[in-house]
Amino acid sequence: MLKIENVELYYDHVYALKKVSLHLEEGETVALIGANGAGKSSILRSITGLSKIKHGSISFQGQEIHHRRPADIVKSGIIMVPEGRRVFPYMSVRDNLLMGAFSRTDKAEIRQSLEQVLTRFPILKERYGQSAGTLSGGEQQMMVIGRALMAKPKLLLLDEPSLGIAPKLVADIARAIVQINKEEKVSVLLVEQNSRMALRISHRAYALTTGAVAIHGKSSDLLEDERVQAAYLGGEL
Amino acid sequence: MEQILVNGAYLGAQYALIALGLTLIFALMNVLNFAHGQMYVLGGFVTYTIYGQLGMPYALALLVTAVSLAVVGAVVERFLFRPVIRRSQRDESTMLLAAGLGFFLDAVILLLFGEKQRGVPKLIDGVFNWDFRVIMPHDRILIGCLAVGCIVLFILFMHFSKTGRALRALAQDRDAAQLMGVDVDRYSMTGFALGAMLAGIVGGLLVTITGVNLGMGGPTSTKAFMMVMIGGAGVIPGAIVGGVILGFMESILLSALASYGDVTYLLIFVSLMIFLAIRPNGLMGKPWG
Repeated sequence: MLKIENVELYYDHVYALKKVSLHLEEGETVALIGANGAGKSSILRSITGLSKIKHGSISFQGQEIHHRRPADIVKSGIIMVPEGRRVFPYMSVRDNLLMGAFSRTDKAEIRQSLEQVLTRFPILKERYGQSAGTLSGGEQQMMVIGRALMAKPKLLLLDEPSLGIAPKLVADIARAIVQINKEEKVSVLLVEQNSRMALRISHRAYALTTGAVAIHGKSSDLLEDERVQAAYLGGEL
Repeated sequence: MEQILVNGAYLGAQYALIALGLTLIFALMNVLNFAHGQMYVLGGFVTYTIYGQLGMPYALALLVTAVSLAVVGAVVERFLFRPVIRRSQRDESTMLLAAGLGFFLDAVILLLFGEKQRGVPKLIDGVFNWDFRVIMPHDRILIGCLAVGCIVLFILFMHFSKTGRALRALAQDRDAAQLMGVDVDRYSMTGFALGAMLAGIVGGLLVTITGVNLGMGGPTSTKAFMMVMIGGAGVIPGAIVGGVILGFMESILLSALASYGDVTYLLIFVSLMIFLAIRPNGLMGKPWG
């Protein structure tokens, strides 16, 4: 479904990605793990078109997308939940969710999606008219995942959904990701520093170091892998 | 006293409408449009030409004014600001561009419409007189109401239309809005067109009361900046509050200080400086609501 081949990206002449190749099949949840600055977010920014790659290619459902503009990439069915949540702070929860459906025109179906999202995250119903900036971190994270689902995506890119979230809520969010993948048939590319959580809820995973793929394989294998345990799972529960 | 308040409200509504256009452009593109006052003057002259010279209905003149200023705004964004923003690393470049655009528009207005003060026939005759406590010509009341109506329409548009929602989202978080599929180029152009249109509409409204002349552009820009600074840059309610405050200050101080000569704006500038030293972000300074 998604194929990234030999992608290179640099910011101000410093390499962010060096010949990265990875792929994701329809229905899969794939995790990207690695330390800060390993290039995980750069991969997501390249897919969404926010960063323009210098070499290589990115294709989605058989079509090259790396030269397209961000708005057109959203239309093709890829949506991203950015790191740090990035809510529209002075807009209501309702308006935030509707922004997710920005590239859709089917009004009746948008309303249906809105109801589905509110059923999945009932807390958003309680906060419906409130400014998004007044929500707690966990609530905001649910809202931005809901906002992304409003786009009816085929592929959902999640950038650090557990960052800055109370530990109790991390499990809720992990569960929601699994459910979305299964029930709504949305493929998920998950970037996480919480490697253990990421490996538990994904089918396959890529571990990155300094802009390149170091190890990849089935997530259950990586959880047992000594190198992965030493480098990415050290000490965490 | 009542008279002063009514004058203040009338003035405040016009000012708020000017400030809204300026703050919209600033919130969307981080551009301080120093040519805003010139766009206002241009709007006044377009209405003057169509209503005053050609004798067509005022409503039509106002509509043509709105459309032509929207076109000016769109062209200016597409061919001047967009390439400069793309290439430049510094905010000052767009400020210089805006200041230059102001001079350019001044020259265009001079060429097309001349340097004379121009007025148009009164829209309606008659004077509202409440027991000599409030005296207000009917056309002023009409123009005041039209200005308030435009403000209400603008707010409704920003809050309930898809385009308005996209503009607010873009102002609050550019990257996130892009990730939702908002085409930044297209909506920056829309926002700039809308801002220029608001300036033009005020020009078209006020030409019926105070007339229009070439020299009004610069001072209007300055006033618009003051309102935006008072209310807080980039915030819709801030622009409205700033406009109303300046309107009232002007109306109150003008009558209170009448015997001291023309010191009203000196006093307003001084108090603005003190105010900004205490609250540099203005009353509601935050990136757009």
